Amino acid sequence: MSHLKTALFAGAALTLAGAAAAQDATGGKPDFTGSWTNYRAGNVAGAFTGTGDQMQLTEFGQRAADDFNSLIEGTDHGAGNSCVGSGMPASMLGSGGYPMEIIQRPEQVFVLYEAHAEIRRLYIGDEAQDASMFFPERNGYSTARWEGDRLIVETTNLKTQVDTRYPHSDQAHIVEEYYLDGETEDGARILVAEMTMTDPVFLEEPFTTTKRWQEMEDYHVLTYECSEPKWLDEMAGLYEEAGLEMVQE
Amino acid sequence: MKKPIAAVLTAAALSGATLLTTAPAMAHHSAAQFDFQNTVLVEGEVVRARFANPHMRLILEVTDEERGTREIEFEGHSRNNMFRQGFRPDMFEAGDTITIRIAPMKSGADGGYVTAVMTPDGTQIGNVTGAD
Repeated sequence: MSHLKTALFAGAALTLAGAAAAQDATGGKPDFTGSWTNYRAGNVAGAFTGTGDQMQLTEFGQRAADDFNSLIEGTDHGAGNSCVGSGMPASMLGSGGYPMEIIQRPEQVFVLYEAHAEIRRLYIGDEAQDASMFFPERNGYSTARWEGDRLIVETTNLKTQVDTRYPHSDQAHIVEEYYLDGETEDGARILVAEMTMTDPVFLEEPFTTTKRWQEMEDYHVLTYECSEPKWLDEMAGLYEEAGLEMVQE
Repeated sequence: MKKPIAAVLTAAALSGATLLTTAPAMAHHSAAQFDFQNTVLVEGEVVRARFANPHMRLILEVTDEERGTREIEFEGHSRNNMFRQGFRPDMFEAGDTITIRIAPMKSGADGGYVTAVMTPDGTQIGNVTGAD
């Protein structure tokens, strides 16, 4: 075989191997793997429609939200300033300013929000377990299933949160529907999530919004260490009290 | 002993500056106390700089005629967003005299939100238009 034929054969084999690997990685489903920022182009109104202030809160929910906001307005207080992650749905709806990265396997989709290093695991098929057996979390417990080319994600087991733009109770139930929706003029893939949150305690009616991201190729997502300064200050206090020199900064 | 320094407080709007990034979608806390519409320049000696998340902290020794010499603590973007604005770990260290642009406190008190750092040749690094 000539060198040219050998090279062509090898190239074709690599291409087929790459396609097979991609198929294996996603189980033949659309691949959302990549780094994503807020959608910034086209005739769609910004990254998402339906902001938190459009939520129809119950009297109880409104009072709870107002109480919290009255405490923090104009101050440095806030969950993020205490290195606490946003929690759903704010972690998803707020992502993009800080990038969101998705890594996909057939049985699980990992969603990594750079801000506060929040990680969501979307369990698929046999990986999904009974949410009620786990302790509640700010991002809840998410199970997912494919319906055609769309990934349907259901999140429950949330904690009651008023320290968020999207106040909700622990009875909240969030459904997200993810799908790829073409490309920008520059050829960047567009990812969409249609979201509906219901909550019998905080919401008079379901809160629905649509979030869009666009892909950033070769983007460098960073780690997000946040709690170290507080610990360093605590260490400094201990060293000062003991009259010792602290060499760590 | 630290060298004497001069502080310059100059009203300087961010007119004509190129928007480098969109405002972050999330804020770690309320930014109502900062006046991002009327940024000013502040010169001072770096006492301490901590590039960290969720916010950078910068303490400068500043002198002006009205309030004399004192240490002022400034806040800024998260380390991650500062990096993306062009800030790097070796840009300055304790003892350096630097000029920063800040969104001052609306109350008139010392402090503010760092929107940019001026290099010795006058180049502006960063163009922060709101708190993150």
